[in-house]
Amino acid sequence: MSIGADRGHTPDLAEKLRSINWGLIFLLSIIAGIGFMVLYSAANGSFDPWASKSMIRYGLSLALLLGVALVDIRFWLKAAYPIYLFGLVLLVLVDLHGRTGLGAQRWIEVGPLSLQPSELAKIGLVMVLAHYFNGRTVEEVGRPQHLIYPLLLLAIPAALVMKQPDLGTAMMLVLSTGGIFFLAGVRLWKFAIAIAAGAGLVPIAFGFMRDYQKKRILTFLNPENDSLGAGYHITQSKIALGSGGMWGKGYLEGTQSHLNFLPEKHTDFIFTMFAEEFGMAGGCVLLGLYALVVAYGVAIGLRCRNHFGRMLALGVTLNFFLYVFINTAMVMGLIPVVGVPLPLISYGGTAMLTLMFGFGLVISVYIHRDVRINRRGESES
Amino acid sequence: MRPVAPLEDDDNPCRPRHYKPTLAAPSDGDTRVNRSLELSRNRLMVTAGAFLLAFGIISLRLADVTLLKTPDPEVAHLGQPVVAKPAHFSRGDIVDRNGVVLATTLESSSLFANPRTIAEPAKLAKQLARILPGAKESDLYAKLASDKSFVWLQRRLTPAQEHQVNLLGVPGLDFQREERRIYPQGSLAAHVVGYSDLDGKGLAGIERSFDAALGQSTEPLKLSVDIRLQAILKEEIQKQIDAFTAVGGTGIIMDIKTGEVLSLISLPDFDPNDLNTVVPETIFNRATLGVYEMGSVFKIFNTALALENKTATLSKMYDISKPITIGRFTIHDDEPIHHAIPVAQIFAVSSNIGSVHMVQELSPEIQKDFLGRLGLLRPAQIEIPEIGSPQVPNPWREINSWTIAFGHGLSVSPVQLAVAASAVADGGILKPATLIKRPAGFQPPGQRVLSPRTAELMRELFRYDVTDGTGKKAEVPGYLVGAKTGTAEKIGAHGGYMHHGNLSSLISFFPMSDPQYMVYVIIDEPHGDRNNKAQASYGFTTGAWTAGPAVQRIIARMAPLLGLKPIEETPEIHRALTVDIPGMGPKVAAN
Repeated sequence: MSIGADRGHTPDLAEKLRSINWGLIFLLSIIAGIGFMVLYSAANGSFDPWASKSMIRYGLSLALLLGVALVDIRFWLKAAYPIYLFGLVLLVLVDLHGRTGLGAQRWIEVGPLSLQPSELAKIGLVMVLAHYFNGRTVEEVGRPQHLIYPLLLLAIPAALVMKQPDLGTAMMLVLSTGGIFFLAGVRLWKFAIAIAAGAGLVPIAFGFMRDYQKKRILTFLNPENDSLGAGYHITQSKIALGSGGMWGKGYLEGTQSHLNFLPEKHTDFIFTMFAEEFGMAGGCVLLGLYALVVAYGVAIGLRCRNHFGRMLALGVTLNFFLYVFINTAMVMGLIPVVGVPLPLISYGGTAMLTLMFGFGLVISVYIHRDVRINRRGESES
Repeated sequence: MRPVAPLEDDDNPCRPRHYKPTLAAPSDGDTRVNRSLELSRNRLMVTAGAFLLAFGIISLRLADVTLLKTPDPEVAHLGQPVVAKPAHFSRGDIVDRNGVVLATTLESSSLFANPRTIAEPAKLAKQLARILPGAKESDLYAKLASDKSFVWLQRRLTPAQEHQVNLLGVPGLDFQREERRIYPQGSLAAHVVGYSDLDGKGLAGIERSFDAALGQSTEPLKLSVDIRLQAILKEEIQKQIDAFTAVGGTGIIMDIKTGEVLSLISLPDFDPNDLNTVVPETIFNRATLGVYEMGSVFKIFNTALALENKTATLSKMYDISKPITIGRFTIHDDEPIHHAIPVAQIFAVSSNIGSVHMVQELSPEIQKDFLGRLGLLRPAQIEIPEIGSPQVPNPWREINSWTIAFGHGLSVSPVQLAVAASAVADGGILKPATLIKRPAGFQPPGQRVLSPRTAELMRELFRYDVTDGTGKKAEVPGYLVGAKTGTAEKIGAHGGYMHHGNLSSLISFFPMSDPQYMVYVIIDEPHGDRNNKAQASYGFTTGAWTAGPAVQRIIARMAPLLGLKPIEETPEIHRALTVDIPGMGPKVAAN
């Protein structure tokens, strides 16, 4: 790796193609391949309705990933705000459309596609935060007033997502922002204050809420009121996991999931279905693959010489990690049920598309790892 | 880090093509950048460590749930033949007050096969198709001929079918025994009994709140409900829902002497035997979990309050000719009356304006305290977990006190209202409601909330509402029915009241000479249609026209069932139940 290591170096196309992380793409494809397999099984051994669509989506996403990866990192620096704003506009639109619908409205129809703007908002937020911290020195990050603006960047999409209402995604936004703050070097005591303030604000905010909003929160905290209840999901999930044992029941042989004891087996509880059929061994292999992807992301972040790229790669990786962690912890009953998909495996188009877009950015960061970007966001080469 | 050259070297446009910059000490700018990168790198390592830790925790947990948690042996090794084991959980039955079984546990067998050991799948498929109606031979063949080691053939066989399959004597077939909770009455008592999951754990209703007791005891749990009354209540409410294309309805029948709930219905309902098809709307218990602004039935409490505090008498006159305006709100009556009328008539024609005038003579604190003692400001106390919390205004200002006078601005559940209104009708003593059968002669603990004199006047008013007021539709000759109607505009999805979404109700007691039973029916969002013969309501969707006829039919059907003989209205009884207003004829109300 000697290309331009001593100088802000802009690689040409051939160099770019050579330095694409084929290893990372291979890992992602293996995970996605496992996903097709599980979706095929979830449909009781049929490509319809999930596996086939998921494969097409993965193909498209992969093309998107490559396209994004080859684009210069400085372009993505400039595109951060437009993408963020685009995400916000979609969130507002979905809110306006959602008024007529029942319950939470999270999708927006764009021609034949239906998009989940909250997914786009996650990437947009990571990008603008990386942009912001790129322009700040360590000293500035140390001062509290410099954190007001990024908190605002978080607050707008978080509020819009909360309104849907989608507490899970809002929490993911907050967590990944917290992670980026941590990586950006925000002092630890500020996190302590933020956590304490957050805990302190809960009762006050609760007092300001409307009655029906309170009810929603209480239902969230106490799902027993929600009749068929999350408890049922988790119990079934644990039974299925337990019945898988060490080596699993074998592909297409999972009884708990095929007999429909397991709910949401093609989306949120897909990990359970996988682990029932492939056992703890399979589950560990899959977790290992995820861990490798995360390690790749971290390594790229470490290797990158510009602050923007580093924050971006880590932000995307952090997001990916949160998906994996929250989903798997949920199906194993470690944390309450929140609707978070398992990346690349759960059936769902927008999540896959935005995730691959994110990894396109990560690879772009790697390709342009030696490009120097100064604090004003200009290239120094 | 590799040291880099100062920036100016690079800026020289004339430098040779193969110029290599000399290595030099880092500049100030670089130091700053480096510090930033250094900090960021440290943080990154910590983050990476946190990732690793999290993956570790997840993996440990995975091992924990897959290996250490001993799963149900039946599901753990389904590939192998399962030894039938004795029933290890036998849940107690739930029965109604007359011993009719509402929930019981049955053992059943499910047939499965190991296709790899099946020698002649075609022949076996043919034989099985004869034994198992509903299973197609081709499907059975496909399953039996597959190369899997485990396939389900049929869930829950009858004992006769199981016997016939055993007679075939084919190796490779086997049964899995399981206990299954059965609800023989289907949806009829679904919201009371609730349901349990496949493992026999109660998830809702009595099944949930008595989960532990049912799990330990084999004695049946006797509820206060009467399945016959459940059937009557459900049928009559359903009739009104259909006639008025309403979104739902709910009803309660109570023995107000003991507080026993004889019937509790929430529609639409669900079949607890088939939870796969259930949707949240049907599981929702409108009678206990739903909280609503009840509308004019609240005038029961408003009137009792004024009478108890002696700010009004039945004959005291209030001018109701002018609507009351407060801020941007106007309080008016549906059918304006342009003169003063007495309290009894305010109750019977259900005047909002009159009710507000009555409460204006009292302080909001007194009103709040009274409604609190009636249990309207705290969640209902009844033995199922689906209990809605009332939505109580805070602060309780004068405007709240005015709207609450006619039943808006305070949302309560139907069961709360039933208990509170029963206290008013039955001598002013509040008794807790229960879903469990009381032993004979049981005297429930009571709390006095009204003086006997006020309660007596209220009884006259209830009766007056049926003889001369909005409750006429509920009259059943011989049973001295007393009632109060209510029609509340529901709050729409956008806030603000819907003018075409009503919650129409009628609460009744009988016989008013000594009230024994309460029948309460609510129809949710009835739609009026002048041309609908089944409605016979000329397009009205008020409680009088929607819930009234249902209550009338319910009382007419339930009274004989409970062995209540019609009461002859002797002159003494008539006098005792007649509102005494000097200067007013007996017929004072138009509707």
